[in-house]
Amino acid sequence: MDKFASLQFYALLKREVLEHRNIFIGAPVVVALLLFVAATWVATQISQSDLAEGLRFVSALFDGLSPFDMAPFIMLLAIPFYLTLYVCSVIYLINTLYQDRKEMSVLFWQSMPVSNLQTVLSKIVAIVLVAPIFYVLVIFVMYLIAMVWLTILGISNDVDLVGIGYLFLAAIASLVLIYISTVVTGLWLLPSVGWLLLFSAFAKKTPLLWAGGVFILVGFLEDLIFGTQFLANWVASRTSNPDQYLIFEFQSVFERVFNYDTLFGIIVGSILIAGAVFMRRFTD
Amino acid sequence: MSNIVEAKSLTKNYGSFAALDGVDLTIPKGAISGLIGPNGAGKTTTLKALIGLCDVDGELSVAGRDPRIARHKLMEDVCFIADVGILPKWLKVSHVIDYVEGVHPRFDRKKAEKFLSTTDIPANKRIKDLSKGMVTQLHLALVMAIEVQLLVLDEPTLGLDIIYRKEFYDRLLNDFYDGNRTIIISTHQVEEIETLLSHLVFINKGKIVLDSSMSDLSDIYTEVLVDADKVAQADALQPIYVRKLLGKKSYTFESVPREQLKILGELHTPSVADLFVAKLKEEKHG
Amino acid sequence: MKDLILRNRYTLLVVTLIVYMGVLVTEGMITGREVRVIEFENPYFDFNSTNFEGFRERRNYNENETENIRIESYDTGDV
Repeated sequence: MDKFASLQFYALLKREVLEHRNIFIGAPVVVALLLFVAATWVATQISQSDLAEGLRFVSALFDGLSPFDMAPFIMLLAIPFYLTLYVCSVIYLINTLYQDRKEMSVLFWQSMPVSNLQTVLSKIVAIVLVAPIFYVLVIFVMYLIAMVWLTILGISNDVDLVGIGYLFLAAIASLVLIYISTVVTGLWLLPSVGWLLLFSAFAKKTPLLWAGGVFILVGFLEDLIFGTQFLANWVASRTSNPDQYLIFEFQSVFERVFNYDTLFGIIVGSILIAGAVFMRRFTD
Repeated sequence: MSNIVEAKSLTKNYGSFAALDGVDLTIPKGAISGLIGPNGAGKTTTLKALIGLCDVDGELSVAGRDPRIARHKLMEDVCFIADVGILPKWLKVSHVIDYVEGVHPRFDRKKAEKFLSTTDIPANKRIKDLSKGMVTQLHLALVMAIEVQLLVLDEPTLGLDIIYRKEFYDRLLNDFYDGNRTIIISTHQVEEIETLLSHLVFINKGKIVLDSSMSDLSDIYTEVLVDADKVAQADALQPIYVRKLLGKKSYTFESVPREQLKILGELHTPSVADLFVAKLKEEKHG
Repeated sequence: MKDLILRNRYTLLVVTLIVYMGVLVTEGMITGREVRVIEFENPYFDFNSTNFEGFRERRNYNENETENIRIESYDTGDV
């Protein structure tokens, strides 16, 4: 990629973040605020001495534990963020090639020297690689504030905070795992990404209804024509176990990406993404 | 290459409706060309086809490229402004400039900012908060800062008040047009752009009705205010259009030598608006 | 042929879906695909907070193994 092409791609990504700032930044910030409100409410229900006692217990628990061993536990704290990201991704993907056609700004975007392939790729990269960065940053700020809070609480109640320091390191390590998990999940779900983009580019109205309706129809047709349920089986394999969306250890990243099922999914996803790229030529 | 646009028998159907019905079009390099037609005549479809935003059948070459094959390459040489609504409403003015600077290799940011500094457009406002006139000014600022061969304008001043419209065309002529660049403007407000044009194309019901340079018009078309006693003589010369004017009759002739018409009355070159009506009526009658 | 596929959005959609289903069904026939749930065994889910030491030992024991991927198949004709 030459220098201008990468600058161009950066401009395309920036456009996505600006256009969908609610999804990229607003949503995780709201989740973080809700968690804070909840935490504050819990704190007001407990007496100062009990809080200090709890803090002392946690600090002692984590003292001396390797942050990398503990990171997976902390990671689970981010579950509300994952769920938000997945819901937001669906909203983003189904709207991103539809909204600009609806509001006619597609004529402006298409009057710039940007190919349909670049456009569609920028949208995939934005949601699979860039969105998790914002989520991780918001979680990081949340942890930072929580640590300051705990530190003040600890100092004012004379608690030994070494263990809390370990906890903080584990939280930082967990951010890396969270990022890797969401990106690998993005690859794992690439067929869904392609499906949503295809219908986002296709539909003149109600793209989500089209995406869902045709999905059911295609499964039904497969059964009718071939007498098989490969589509249904395949989808069930990919979605039935939430466990497969989380990665707890750095060593397992390679086999999570380079296994038959993920790679086959990337191939199938690419077919649908190619369809979306060609579909983008229809601007009405 | 002397023609920037060459199109042969372009066709486009929406269901059973033929938006373009065998359009042949040549636009010379350096021309300021007006594409004039009533609503639904196929103006927008033609312009969209020229920049690859609409699939058509037929032969088409714009700036030496087929827009259907490599739109994004073509758009390095061509700019497009449609009627006011197409800049994304959620973007801030400064972000639009950033974006175009990021994706367009021939964009000169300083030029755009210099142009904008002569307007009242604030850089930190979102486009949805700008007036229609400002949005058009902004789009024009972006386009004028891009080194392109061809500028395509689809009803660029629709819905603007007279001051913005005047200023738009003044800027276009003084700051953008340099004799080498080509401009194609579609509009149905003919009078406003008549004096700018060097080339004229009429389109109606998906067909080209007239495709001529302005300088050839006066050779081909003549309007005569015929004296009452010479009406029969005038009728015999097969006018393409006759209308009543202040008690007299005004005849429009196509390809009838002026020598022959002189005896009928006072001769003019018809205005573009009159010629437009004449050609459209002629279509209707046969 | 290419023109025919790209002519309108409906033919393009149908062709994309045919290719998609073609690849899926062919792959399904070759591999005899059934519902496969990939389960990742990991020590964190049977963690007991009152037994930290035990957990640490187990972690050390597992250190050289990465996650064990276990693939379970079971028959479900209609999902």
